Amino acid sequence: MNVITRGMRGAVRSPLRAGAIVIMLAISIGLIVAMLAAKAGVETKINQVKQTAATGITVRPAGINGFAGGGDPLTAAQVATVSKTTHVASTVSTLTDQLGTTDTNLTPSLELGSFGMRAQRFEGSSDMPMPPAGMESSSGSSRTLPTPRTTVTGTTDANSVAPNGGTLTISPGITIDGHANDNQALVGTDLATKNNLKVGSTFTAYGQTFTVKGIFKTDNRFQDSGMIVPLATLQKLTDQTGAVTSLVVNADSSDNVATVVSSLKSSLGSTVDITSEQERAQTSVTTLASISNLATSGVVGATIASAVIVLLTMTMIVRERKREIGVIKAIGGTNIKVITQFMTEALTLTVIGGVIGLGLGVAVSGSITKGLVDAQSNSTSSVTRPSGPGGGFRGPVGQFGGTAQRGLQAITSSVTPATIASGIGLTFVIAIIGSALPAWFIARIRPAEVLRGVE
Amino acid sequence: MSIEVTGLTKTFQAPGGDVHALNDINFSVKTGQFISIIGKSGSGKSTLLSQLGALDQPTKGEIVVDGQDITRLSGSAQTAYRSKKIGFVFQQYNLIPNLTAAENVMLALEFGGVPSQQRHDEALKLLASVGIDEDQAQRRPGKLSGGQQQRISIARALANRPSFILADEPTGNLDTETGKTIFKLLHDLSRSHDTTIIVVTHDLEIAGKTDHTYQLKDGKLINYKK
Ligand SMILES: Nc1ncnc2c1ncn2[C@@H]1O[C@H](COP(=O)(O)OP(=O)(O)O)[C@@H](O)[C@H]1O
Ligand SMILES: [Mg+2]
Repeated sequence: MNVITRGMRGAVRSPLRAGAIVIMLAISIGLIVAMLAAKAGVETKINQVKQTAATGITVRPAGINGFAGGGDPLTAAQVATVSKTTHVASTVSTLTDQLGTTDTNLTPSLELGSFGMRAQRFEGSSDMPMPPAGMESSSGSSRTLPTPRTTVTGTTDANSVAPNGGTLTISPGITIDGHANDNQALVGTDLATKNNLKVGSTFTAYGQTFTVKGIFKTDNRFQDSGMIVPLATLQKLTDQTGAVTSLVVNADSSDNVATVVSSLKSSLGSTVDITSEQERAQTSVTTLASISNLATSGVVGATIASAVIVLLTMTMIVRERKREIGVIKAIGGTNIKVITQFMTEALTLTVIGGVIGLGLGVAVSGSITKGLVDAQSNSTSSVTRPSGPGGGFRGPVGQFGGTAQRGLQAITSSVTPATIASGIGLTFVIAIIGSALPAWFIARIRPAEVLRGVE
Repeated sequence: MSIEVTGLTKTFQAPGGDVHALNDINFSVKTGQFISIIGKSGSGKSTLLSQLGALDQPTKGEIVVDGQDITRLSGSAQTAYRSKKIGFVFQQYNLIPNLTAAENVMLALEFGGVPSQQRHDEALKLLASVGIDEDQAQRRPGKLSGGQQQRISIARALANRPSFILADEPTGNLDTETGKTIFKLLHDLSRSHDTTIIVVTHDLEIAGKTDHTYQLKDGKLINYKK
């Protein structure tokens, strides 16, 4: 029996009240932990976005966005100019096309839906690249009724289709050589399932036989309903030699992105739209930073709330037990001992609340993070945009066009040891701040008051 | 172990003006004496005990205990003085409600510096000496009668073999019979332990049985003539 055990026993002296306080503290501390986890998650994301966004620049023919819009694709000469520009480390060229039912023996795995129907109502004055050779004769029937189509991406690097600028997940099978010009293809998992395609299967497109090298999965319905072929193959089969609808340029360092953008603007002129991921990422980073700030305010707010709970509780307890404190002092207990006892009481309640709160926080951190991200991205309209439209209206947004935006949805709270440590640290801060004022009250209680009877 | 009080004055600043609770009090108590103090409510009896027990600082005057003026001690030295040399017995018993009888006594032993392994046995011995058995010693104050609680508080007061016990109306909350037994307990202790006891009481019958009785009147201490 020492001052610490006395404090711990004192904490549960009135179980009902102790329970109520512990619950309040658990909720506040849970909130703190959840906010810390959200903050950690968001900060990881900020770094990721900053890193992946460091060097990318997208060059698109002016007026073309996927299959929408109008204009001329980039030419081989333009692509060559870009490649030769100083500080350009590498380029990835992409051309997209769509296969109608007469172009292939494959069944599209994407439903047209009302969106796709509407998108195709202008058929005839198609905004698509030039129809492939040999389609003219049968075009009449294929164009009167809207039909779902299969997207073909011809690219020098299959990874450009991967979400978040990473490596494309291919399972089973292997990737294709984007610089080849033979009839090999990667098919999306949805398309493969729909047509029962396996690695090594063959299918017909543009009147030619293609071999499936691998099956990829991006978790984007639109992408997973398409296929990827080497750029040169698609250019050849669609009579668009050298044509490119999207060119992704990587600068040799993030510091040179601005320089590259301005040299490309002057060399390519107004025929192209040039956007750097850095500029685009800025919006995301700003949004993310504001989510992080929101989480910080949450942490601060919940910490203050918890400290106030402890403060009010301890003040109440000290006032109630003023006489007892006087007695302890009268029989020779030092201020330090009494304060230690009551601080232990506060700490006991806070630690119990903290342990429950930690569990609670970890449990709800996912939904809190999601809530924060949703609330924030709804208020920043430029950040969210539909990905994977039904019915094949839009082409790939660009190699990493949607990275930051899609990434926002992909933010997950991260409960790291650092988060837990901060949570525990804050719990102690709460207990100490919360019992500092009561400790001062304790020191001021005069033992002589004990002798002033309750007359 | 003697107490020498000279020129002891205590003035409270109250909203209605200064209250001269104690006004130039002079008296002395010799070791082993059993002294009683009587006086009307508000006459300053508790205030006097507070000064003697170093619970409060007098406005003026000296309280010399065993050659040392306790009014000049530092705060921590006064705390040590309270824990080692003084035992308090209160009208409302003032036991800690969530501690058992034994733990209440052990608390005083802890403050008196008794090593933790010895406290439990020592507490049981002390409780036995005031008539509390081992079963009662494990109960909380709320489960014991007023007389039993006052016995425990006497055991607590005796814990560190104090030089003297200060008791403020120890029988005030008890019925006449129980009050008498408690008083007898204090009386016996003062005889057997040679402990100095100063008891404040309303009860003239009790006061009559002590070695000497003082009366507090208008802040002055006068000898009470039987
Ligand atoms: N802390 C205090 N502040 C102001 N007045 C006090 C204080 N303590 C005691 N008094 C006053 O001093 C006088 C003596 O009080 P007290 O010693 O408690 O009387 P008794 O114990 O004889 O009933 C009373 O008038 C009381 O109101
Ligand atoms: Mg009194």
